[in-house]
Amino acid sequence: MGMFDEEFDAIVIGAGHNGMALAGYLARSGWSVAVLERRTEEGGGLCTEELTEPNFLHNLHSNYHSLVGLSPVYDDLELEANGVDYAHPDVQMGSIFSDGTAITVHRDMEKTHRSFARFSQKDADTWLRLWEEVGGYMDLLVRTLMYAPPIALNDLTRALASWGVEEKSEFLSARLRSMSVAEFLDKHFENDRIKAMLAFHAAVCAYQPHVKGLAVTLPVLLGKISNWQLCKGGSHRLAHTLMRVIVKHGGRVYPQVPVEEIVVEGGRAVGVRVPDGFVRAKKLVASSIDVNQTFETLLQPKHVPAKTLEGVAGVEYQDATLFNVHAALNGLPRYKAAEFDPDIDRAWILNVGFESLEDFRQEFDCVRSGRLPEVPRLNVAVNSLYDPTDAPAGKATGLIRVFAPHALVDGGAEAWDERGREYGERCVERWASVCANWDDDALMRRFAVETPFDISRKMINYRFGDWMVGRIHPSNLLEHRPTEELAQYRTPVEGLYLCGASQHPHGYITFAPGYNCLGVIAEDHGLDKWWEEI
Amino acid sequence: MDKSEFDVVIIGGGHNALTCAAYLARANVDVCILEGRHEWGGALYTAENTAPGFCHNIHANFMEFLHFMPFYADFDLPGLGARTIYPEAQAGIAFSDGRPPVIIYREDMIERTCQNFAVYSERDAETWRALKTKANEFAPMMFGNLYTPPAKFDLQKDGLPTVNNAPMTFKFFGLDEEMAYKSIRDCVDELFETDEIRALFYRVAVEFCGPPIEWPGTGGTFLFACLWMPGCWRMMVGGTHRLNGAMVTACLKEGVTMRESSRVERVILEAGRAVGVETVDGRRYTARQAVVSGIGLKDTFQDLVGEERLSDYYRRRVAHFKDGPDQVLGSVAMALREAPDYKSAARDPDINKAWYQVVGYDSAEEVLNYCRAGHIDRIPELPGAGVWVNSIWDPSQAPAGQHNLTGWYFFPRASCLSEAEWEEVKRSYNGRFLALYEKFAPNMTPSNVIADYLHTPLDQERGMRMREGDFGHGAMSPDQTGLMRPFAGASRYATEIEGLYLCGSCTFPGGGVTAAPGYNCFKILCEDFGYPEVWRSESRSY
Ligand SMILES: Cc1cc2nc3c(=O)[nH]c(=O)nc-3n(C[C@H](O)[C@H](O)[C@H](O)COP(=O)(O)OP(=O)(O)OC[C@H]3O[C@@H](n4cnc5c(N)ncnc54)[C@H](O)[C@@H]3O)c2cc1C
Ligand SMILES: Cc1cc2nc3c(=O)[nH]c(=O)nc-3n(C[C@H](O)[C@H](O)[C@H](O)COP(=O)(O)OP(=O)(O)OC[C@H]3O[C@@H](n4cnc5c(N)ncnc54)[C@H](O)[C@@H]3O)c2cc1C
Repeated sequence: MGMFDEEFDAIVIGAGHNGMALAGYLARSGWSVAVLERRTEEGGGLCTEELTEPNFLHNLHSNYHSLVGLSPVYDDLELEANGVDYAHPDVQMGSIFSDGTAITVHRDMEKTHRSFARFSQKDADTWLRLWEEVGGYMDLLVRTLMYAPPIALNDLTRALASWGVEEKSEFLSARLRSMSVAEFLDKHFENDRIKAMLAFHAAVCAYQPHVKGLAVTLPVLLGKISNWQLCKGGSHRLAHTLMRVIVKHGGRVYPQVPVEEIVVEGGRAVGVRVPDGFVRAKKLVASSIDVNQTFETLLQPKHVPAKTLEGVAGVEYQDATLFNVHAALNGLPRYKAAEFDPDIDRAWILNVGFESLEDFRQEFDCVRSGRLPEVPRLNVAVNSLYDPTDAPAGKATGLIRVFAPHALVDGGAEAWDERGREYGERCVERWASVCANWDDDALMRRFAVETPFDISRKMINYRFGDWMVGRIHPSNLLEHRPTEELAQYRTPVEGLYLCGASQHPHGYITFAPGYNCLGVIAEDHGLDKWWEEI
Repeated sequence: MDKSEFDVVIIGGGHNALTCAAYLARANVDVCILEGRHEWGGALYTAENTAPGFCHNIHANFMEFLHFMPFYADFDLPGLGARTIYPEAQAGIAFSDGRPPVIIYREDMIERTCQNFAVYSERDAETWRALKTKANEFAPMMFGNLYTPPAKFDLQKDGLPTVNNAPMTFKFFGLDEEMAYKSIRDCVDELFETDEIRALFYRVAVEFCGPPIEWPGTGGTFLFACLWMPGCWRMMVGGTHRLNGAMVTACLKEGVTMRESSRVERVILEAGRAVGVETVDGRRYTARQAVVSGIGLKDTFQDLVGEERLSDYYRRRVAHFKDGPDQVLGSVAMALREAPDYKSAARDPDINKAWYQVVGYDSAEEVLNYCRAGHIDRIPELPGAGVWVNSIWDPSQAPAGQHNLTGWYFFPRASCLSEAEWEEVKRSYNGRFLALYEKFAPNMTPSNVIADYLHTPLDQERGMRMREGDFGHGAMSPDQTGLMRPFAGASRYATEIEGLYLCGSCTFPGGGVTAAPGYNCFKILCEDFGYPEVWRSESRSY
């Protein structure tokens, strides 16, 4: 059986970006490493498929990468020199409103300021002050809140207090820990639409605007509002790049090898069982998948303390997942709102339908009750604007995402198989209604839908379709993610580590869980840290 | 910034190009390979495009060359993740009235095939026993030939070399040499008397290779397609794309620089010599020694080099190179709740576990009519197909308990229908096939199908850059095979443009997952540039 004759220093379960990054660091440290992946492709949420037609590249999962340049992994693993290539759209985000007006968020904050000022001069000025203030501590926040093991919220609050946050900062405060994003925005801004634009940005990052306590990391989120980047050639190219790094340093990635058991001997994880047999791990096993699979399915119950199992059973998942429409278009859409703000035609991440904070409340209430809104509110992106190679010449690839329940109130998750197409049509109609050239140019060639149920079947670690692999809620963030016991990347099973999105900080293409787990492993195994510590 | 200067730059990331790249790197050549798509492996393509968790090999599925393929052994592809399964019942045909199925078993199970044939005809069973035994003996000789560049010859001095060595081969099989000049159909009919058995052979021949089965002079293909090939097929665990995964890993291990999403738009010539390429994103890659093209012939010379840079002879020959009408398929994919259960299984349950299953025909005549349609540019009226359900052997290709059916329709060339007509085929043909299917396997009802998909020749042309949807990058007619591939005077991988080489399926020996064009091209590069001949191996002559 050729493939697994060798044993490895480390086995990583799951070839998502977190698992692959960890493997890349370990391989470069001289360890023999194998990454085992159950799907036919490596990459996990870095998944690009020609879902509609040949040459139309659709990012089924991650599409917006927001930590390029901020995450240390890009430099450490020399991802650019190994072939990844990003576009950084000049018009980052936009909102189209029902009265024909629009807001645009630019990389150039002066332009953003001008766009906001058309709605409220005061808010535009506030925004600039906020932006400048955040710029002053962005690096520090990213370093301490993302690329380091989680700190306790109390410690964070204490640190802020002793720094004298109330005097030194207009926007930070110890009180943020009990505020929602919506409350923060209400406090500082007056215009509904500007608030909606900023809340939309938070919602795209899985921060539901009305969840209490999430304002605590809002400054980091807002500080990244101009760092949305597009992986040219599809997000999957980042997976190819990681694969190159791993193999270059002697590691291996084996897709279509589902891990069925983590084998424990004498209280230590010593390897994994796969359909072909046993693969030995001399030093450690790192799991990048959901903790339910890791502890409830892959480990025999006798190896897991009851307390751990209890904690894992209580891990909560997001109540809003995503419904997706992938479109093959005959050209680039143009919007009616371009009469108001021509830049809207070039905005990458587009809000169609959220016009006030109240809209978010209604939307998430509706989703939580398992219903679909009459008129869907959309998140739209046409990647071809900034990467024309993702579609045939002159054509374009389009994406619509809407927040949606995993289980529908009538019929549960399975009902998506019947209703997905029809809901897709409603989303497309909504998009068409704000376009100026929809009919003239017969824009839509064909579309395919990926429902929340599809997500959970394709990616079994996205339980209930949860793309963040764990609820984004103060009860499941920082030192609580996924449980207090498991929050520091180590587990009660010696030699078993957790390195995926279930861990602090959360899902998204951040590389942070993998990077933070690396730090813990380096400590435990006395690894020489060749990478630059941030 | 990304490095941009190499000894050799390879265009295209299909399996032939990967082969050439891996050997070059092993010979310490600094090589870069550029693929236009977002994925590697070209037709080693597995798509999850019906429903989540269902993997479909909508291009190559049946691996018959692996065990002779030098790349496979030299780079330990099994150790890099290319695992195989070898189904016992390899190919079968079922009938709508529940007649006994015809089944061909593995090459090491000749007797089982004979038992199956004997249900219809003792004589056909005898014939199979004798011929399949010979075919097994013959295989090693054939492979030596495939993995060796065609001999040098000078058209002016030597005249046209013997293009057809099939007569000799027929003699080896103990058959009349004259059969080489007949058609595949004639060979089948002369040797096998049973209509049901003929039907299976016709279908296998038309789908797996080569020329229209009623063309005279194609007897050699009969030996290859009907006698040798069924029985050798291996399945890649996890889908054909996993073979690509192992090949890519091999390339990376050897130090090949690999860039996907890098479509080459132009070969850069300086003083008539190929010195590099330019990609669609405006990057330039310099080649100090050679540019090697693993893509189609017309793509290389008309699109990337430019006809104005060619001699009259090349310009004409390239322009006249034919794609299709043979080797053009449409691929059907269905996500199923249950695997098909044939009426004929009541007579022999093995048909349900035959890997390649021919469905939709009750007589050899029906298969013939079907084959003829493609050659007169029509979509066959009777929507039969050859299908396979890999999840029966490899459960990882479908969600637990469910099945991934994939199959082929023999279709006309991409240009025979308009885009709108192909759209109509996409919309309706699978439904028509299913209606027919139910007559052969009653559980194949619409409610058994979770989702389906049809990949047309036009899709293949656009997606994989296989012109006309020709899966071998050029018809296998006698004037385009052997020493004549792609055309006389160009069969040794070097071209008239100094520094420009070909390594794709448009060269000898042609399409299929052989890795032979890539391997042979490497041998020629060793000759021309004095690279170490790392292809040599104790364990084989080629
Ligand atoms: C619809 C959708 C849209 C999204 N949009 C964005 C976006 O725009 N921007 C963004 O940054 N993020 C986005 N995300 C989220 C992002 O994709 C994920 O949070 C991120 O990919 C998680 O990375 P990971 O490495 O932790 O896990 P994953 O990428 O999920 O990798 C884990 C891997 O483990 C494998 N696996 C599971 N079980 C086993 C097993 N038993 N054995 C072996 N392997 C196993 C899985 O198949 C998977 O490949 C989106 C996700 C979805 C679903
Ligand atoms: C439907 C179908 C079924 C088949 N079934 C089988 C089977 O069962 N068994 C078997 O042995 N064979 C089968 N084949 C045939 C076999 O798969 C192909 O002949 C073989 O894979 C071709 O390999 P290649 O490397 O020569 O070319 P390809 O696989 O076509 O690779 C060429 C690559 O070059 C890339 N490219 C093209 N233009 C450019 C450019 N300008 N710049 C950069 N890159 C470019 C393409 O994207 C592609 O990846 C099948 C083929 C098809 C289509």
